[in-house]
Amino acid sequence: MNLIYILLAIAVILIFWIISIYNFFVSTKTRIGASIQEIGNQLKRQSELIPNLEASAKGYLKHEKGIFDELTSARRAISSAVESGDVKKMADAGKMLSEVLPKIQVVVESNPEIKASEVVTNLMEELRDTSDKVMYARRLLIDLTADYNVKIVTFPSNIVAGIFHFEKQKGLETPESGDELKVTEEETKTPKVNL
Amino acid sequence: MKNIYEVRTANKIKSAVIVFLFTVFVFVATYVLVNALAYNLGYEAGGFGYVGIALIASGISSFVSYYFSDQIILGIAGARPADRRRDFDFYTVAENIAIGQGIPKPKLYVIDDPSPNAFATGRDPAHAAVCATTGLLEKLNRTELEGVIAHEMSHVKNFDTRLMSVVAVMVGLVALLSDWFTRSLYWGRSRDDNENNSSSIFLILGLVFAILSPIVGTLIQLVISRRREYVADAGSVEITRQPQGLISALEKISQDPSPLKNANKATAHLYISNPYKKVKTGGSWLVNLFNTHPPISDRIKALKAMV
Repeated sequence: MNLIYILLAIAVILIFWIISIYNFFVSTKTRIGASIQEIGNQLKRQSELIPNLEASAKGYLKHEKGIFDELTSARRAISSAVESGDVKKMADAGKMLSEVLPKIQVVVESNPEIKASEVVTNLMEELRDTSDKVMYARRLLIDLTADYNVKIVTFPSNIVAGIFHFEKQKGLETPESGDELKVTEEETKTPKVNL
Repeated sequence: MKNIYEVRTANKIKSAVIVFLFTVFVFVATYVLVNALAYNLGYEAGGFGYVGIALIASGISSFVSYYFSDQIILGIAGARPADRRRDFDFYTVAENIAIGQGIPKPKLYVIDDPSPNAFATGRDPAHAAVCATTGLLEKLNRTELEGVIAHEMSHVKNFDTRLMSVVAVMVGLVALLSDWFTRSLYWGRSRDDNENNSSSIFLILGLVFAILSPIVGTLIQLVISRRREYVADAGSVEITRQPQGLISALEKISQDPSPLKNANKATAHLYISNPYKKVKTGGSWLVNLFNTHPPISDRIKALKAMV
């Protein structure tokens, strides 16, 4: 009689444990989806700031037509990536934009006339902040995916994952090969800073 | 060199051990004091007993500060809600860290005070508030500010307000029981008639505990508080991945001579650095023992190990 109660108690605890692990997987999966959307949102916000920057800085940046072309194509890439909802494309489009930003920064810094323009400096700050937001949104996606994937492979939660067929999440795919992974000799040197 | 995951695990274990020791201490102290009290007064209190009464008394005050902590800030002189345009860096940095942590953006307040400091409060991430002084916002750059805000938001994410409230209730409980026992010695009835040895042991033990346990309780409370600072520092690095930001922020904060005008003792343990005392270097261990925060030099050392 006592044994039955003990077994019953163990069964109840086990069921609650399985429910909690199951809920972890389901809710984290939802949060991963939400974090991908968040990346899209922030990228979109960033691309919407660009026309404003163009409008207010055009007068000063007449001679920097190349920058504007790059900005426009980055903006196009972002909107099509956000529409497609593909994380990889979003990451690429975000990268395009983050490559143009330092170029504008250089122009702004070297030109006291633009630097004095409050509108332009505000827009630059906003753009920089949005880059941070994209970065943090990506960080959230990476962290959530890592938590999820660790639980899928570690014991004993992997049993629950097996029963309900939860599969590894891709998260932010990083290229297995390519320029990002190569470190040139130049890059390993400590940068010299002249003060 | 330690990676942040190792630091996080080590911190978790240390925190758990301290909290466990604290719980054991509270149990033993309560047990001894209640028995001594019952012996001295000659009867056991019915119903809730002495523990229940003390728990309620100590709980009410802490509960108020716990439940309304985010609203209490508004009572601090000169606190105003942060404005996106006016406090652009503060506002956006907090917004970004909330995105990165997947928690709602806390309410943000600015206190008009030249001393650079910041604190967080609120019973859970949904009711959290982060408060920064104008001194902090003026003196730190964006990266340093990110480190400080991330430290505060780790306090929020780790439910430190909740933990410290529970600890405060327990310390209050022990202190109250000790106080009652000491008082009962004056008006407790004489026990000469039916003295027995096992009970008088409780009387002696009760005396020892009545004198020592409020101090011991407070000391353990401070150990927990200091441990949570290290946890929040590591949490900040985990969020920003830039220990250098927090290191240089702490250096700037510790070098600033002005003390905080409107420090609140109830929230002292949630500030980025102790709002009352500025402990720059290690100091004597006795001084450190009574501090809510570890010395900044020790915190910087721990952070540098993560670079």
